[in-house]
Amino acid sequence: MQSSPLWYKDAVIYELHVRAFYDSDGDGAGEFKGLTNKLDYLKDLGVSAVWLLPFYPSPWRDDGYDISDYTGIHPAYGTLDDFKAFLEEAHRRDIRVITELVLNHTSDQHPWFQQARSSRDNPKRDWYVWSETPDRYKDARIIFTDTEQSNWAWDMSSKSYYWHRFFSHQPDLNYDNPAVREEMWNVMKFWLDMGVDGLRLDAVPYLVERDKTSCENLPETHAVLKFLRHRLDENFSDKMFLAEANQWPQDVRAYFGNDDECHMAFHFPLMPRMFMAIKLEDRKPLVDVLQRTPAIPAACQWGTFLRNHDELTLEMVTMDERDYMYDEFAKDARAKLNIGIRRRLAPLMENDRRRIELLNGLLMSLPGTPIIYYGDEIGMGDNIYLGDRNGVRTPMQWNGGWNAGFSDADPERLYAALISNPLYGYQVVNVESQRRSEHSLLSWMKQLIRVRKSTRVFSRGTMDMLQPLNHRVLAFVREFEGAKILVVSNLSSQAQAAELDLRRWKGTVPIEMFGGNPFPRIGDLPYLLTLGPYQFYWFRLRQL
Amino acid sequence: MRERRRETTPLGDLKLAETAQLSDDFIRQLSAVGEVDVLVGIPTFNNKDTIERVVRAVQIGLTKYFHRERCVLINPDGGSTDGTPEIFKNASVSDFEIMLTSNPLRTFHRVSAPYHGIPGKETALRTLFVAADLLRAKACAILSPASLSVTPEWIESLVRPAYRESFDFVAPLYQRQKFDGLLLKGLLAPVVRAAYGVRIREPIASDLGLSGKLARHFLEQNIWDQDVTTFGLEIWMTTTAIVHGFKISESFLGPRIQPAPQFGQDLPGTIRQVVGALFKCLEMQESYWLPRTGSESLPTFGFQYDVALEPLKLSTKTILDNFRSNIGQLVPVLESILTPATLVEIRKMIDLPDKQFRCPDELWVKTIYEFAAAYHHSAINRDHLLQALTPLYRARVSSFILQNTKAPAAKLDQRVEDLGQEFERQKPYLIDRWSAKAGGER
Repeated sequence: MQSSPLWYKDAVIYELHVRAFYDSDGDGAGEFKGLTNKLDYLKDLGVSAVWLLPFYPSPWRDDGYDISDYTGIHPAYGTLDDFKAFLEEAHRRDIRVITELVLNHTSDQHPWFQQARSSRDNPKRDWYVWSETPDRYKDARIIFTDTEQSNWAWDMSSKSYYWHRFFSHQPDLNYDNPAVREEMWNVMKFWLDMGVDGLRLDAVPYLVERDKTSCENLPETHAVLKFLRHRLDENFSDKMFLAEANQWPQDVRAYFGNDDECHMAFHFPLMPRMFMAIKLEDRKPLVDVLQRTPAIPAACQWGTFLRNHDELTLEMVTMDERDYMYDEFAKDARAKLNIGIRRRLAPLMENDRRRIELLNGLLMSLPGTPIIYYGDEIGMGDNIYLGDRNGVRTPMQWNGGWNAGFSDADPERLYAALISNPLYGYQVVNVESQRRSEHSLLSWMKQLIRVRKSTRVFSRGTMDMLQPLNHRVLAFVREFEGAKILVVSNLSSQAQAAELDLRRWKGTVPIEMFGGNPFPRIGDLPYLLTLGPYQFYWFRLRQL
Repeated sequence: MRERRRETTPLGDLKLAETAQLSDDFIRQLSAVGEVDVLVGIPTFNNKDTIERVVRAVQIGLTKYFHRERCVLINPDGGSTDGTPEIFKNASVSDFEIMLTSNPLRTFHRVSAPYHGIPGKETALRTLFVAADLLRAKACAILSPASLSVTPEWIESLVRPAYRESFDFVAPLYQRQKFDGLLLKGLLAPVVRAAYGVRIREPIASDLGLSGKLARHFLEQNIWDQDVTTFGLEIWMTTTAIVHGFKISESFLGPRIQPAPQFGQDLPGTIRQVVGALFKCLEMQESYWLPRTGSESLPTFGFQYDVALEPLKLSTKTILDNFRSNIGQLVPVLESILTPATLVEIRKMIDLPDKQFRCPDELWVKTIYEFAAAYHHSAINRDHLLQALTPLYRARVSSFILQNTKAPAAKLDQRVEDLGQEFERQKPYLIDRWSAKAGGER
């Protein structure tokens, strides 16, 4: 695999859960050997990196985000050797690997916490945040509002309270302690030395706590990230940190620093607005959020996504917008979770292929590195009758046969029931059947990814938003090193006409990128385009 | 129970769109707007002093109460030369943003376009109805560009009953100074009440709400080249909504303040337009109202409150002098309109001293009904007939003011109600006169 310091800027990332992808040993859950078997599928899909959800030893009270050993592999997923083999095979296919690192907290089963709670004098005591009263840091909000009443939990053994921003079984590490910072760097180095290409840093805004603050985005937290980045740059040249900071763009901007903190950060506010724009049939939400998105250092990149392993978070929307999203996308109250909607892409789009395509078209053409959630490339459904976010983490549907081709185990033994309803069930929605059709969603996604990767304009280019009078049409021009791409999307369920002011690009000929057909040369007059329902065009603007 | 009309067919929509006269630029702007939920129209003609306030109130109202809906604000302008369209386009609410608890989720559209044809309300409203049809608006509000008292809450009051409560026609209900709107209280509303059986208090509103269905219905009527639309579109809209069984409600808007002309300023012109339109409607819609008896009140939205309004200063002496100096010359004309008995009663009023001057309800109602019947039978030239009503109206106004100068608001409301009942009581007389052969007994 070639060294490329900015590989993450041009990547198309595929997020998956090892447990959910492929079970090669028939125990009912996926593991690294199974994942390795399916790398050809990912290569064929065209993705350039995989992001793995946590695979560390864990009591699994938060699907692996409660880590009890940072340098091991959960036995259910295999061994370190299995992981190394997977890494090698992925790299052999030019697929980079991003792993999850939960910096903020551990499981309460982690030996560090077990030692810390064992005695107030234990050397590990100060690795966590303790208090005699639950009154400190009162200005910090509670994140998991459905399950937690406080950010403090009582520890019976040491008779004091410990701080947790997430579940009470996930005590926060104390980053004011230099030993913690040093140890977390050692954890990072362990995986990066092995060959891991990037680390997705979970819940970074919450690393440090201070009284009379929200305990989010504090300067001290940024100092921790700068420390870790400094160590990274000292030791490696083409590794990447990806920040998970569910904040407004102007707050997330700080996580890039001066290219001395994280290389990438998720653009959380953009995600719900893509859904909102299509439902409202109006570009306003997208234009607003893009206008509010600050510039970032040249080497940095936004991570953009439609869906992921969590709920469709609505923390970064206004109250009116949240109400609207709930009313439109969570008509069944079971779909609501915390401040969000736990549904996959296809059910959110009512299985409307045109809307699914348009959303993916937006994802692949807006600034940022797109991240595809496993199964969404075939339009998998979800199961809102499962608890927490497990409904969007069901087994991958490989074919219409036994257990959807996911596992040879008895169905009762699967870690989660397969989706089997008439609309999204594995008999209907699966990789094998879609591979056989040139017109399937899977085939279309492959083409979309191929076109996206055919140019660096999408991954690195500037963006000029156009303002056609028709508000249902989103149009912009991306430009990088002289290459220009015009993107025009109809957000509406009805055919639309749009007149575009393209005089800046007068004389160029728009070449439609999927079919290669030239369109009339751009002149002085408004450029008239008509678009079918939810249709979008990508044009390369060429001087011919 | 009035019969509800059926939904317009798509073919009907096409026909309407094909026959309308819209400029290319207006169509271009409308096509960019697309389908809407709420359309607000502000027809203008040289309203530079007040238009900005109205536009801002509409924008804030839509943001506060309809932030999810697809909204458009349309300004058909009759060719203003004072910069009204520019003020319309540039009116901003950015200084209000910090006070707004809602943000519109969608693009807010503002369309200003000059319309073809003679400047006037009928052309402007027709343009709005065509736009409502093309944009498939679910609810519309039409606002006067001259209102000084418009608030964002007017938008909710006028639109919500049509948008959410399935009403088709939402008439305003203003708090008025007790001697404001005397033509309305003393003639138009009670005649509509008695004839059509609906106690609508503002039958000639320049601020109102409509369902998209009713806007489309108005557009479909073969009326747009007739005088009634040229001079009395408001009364025609009200009575048409009643006659065709549309659901009607009232919404309380609070006080209505606008730069009003002095009493009597072009009173003959106003009477000719407004009362002439009412009589014309009676004529066109006689099959509906002739057999109708009794009246119904309307559901009213909004909390009715009182604020102290600056009293109107009206000089009954001037009005009475005007009546006395004109009535003598008009006796020959009145002889062709009124029955001898009525004319005798009127002539008796001339010599009454100012302080004792009275035009009783019974005489006033009889007079109006005889005028309506004479209009119907074209007893004389209709313009002359309506002109002859002006001095009698002055007499009635003077009498009303003299009688109620010290009356509290509640008492005045009762007097207006009494007059409405008198109009209803004498409806058989109207029917007799109306149905009698032209030139029959006077």
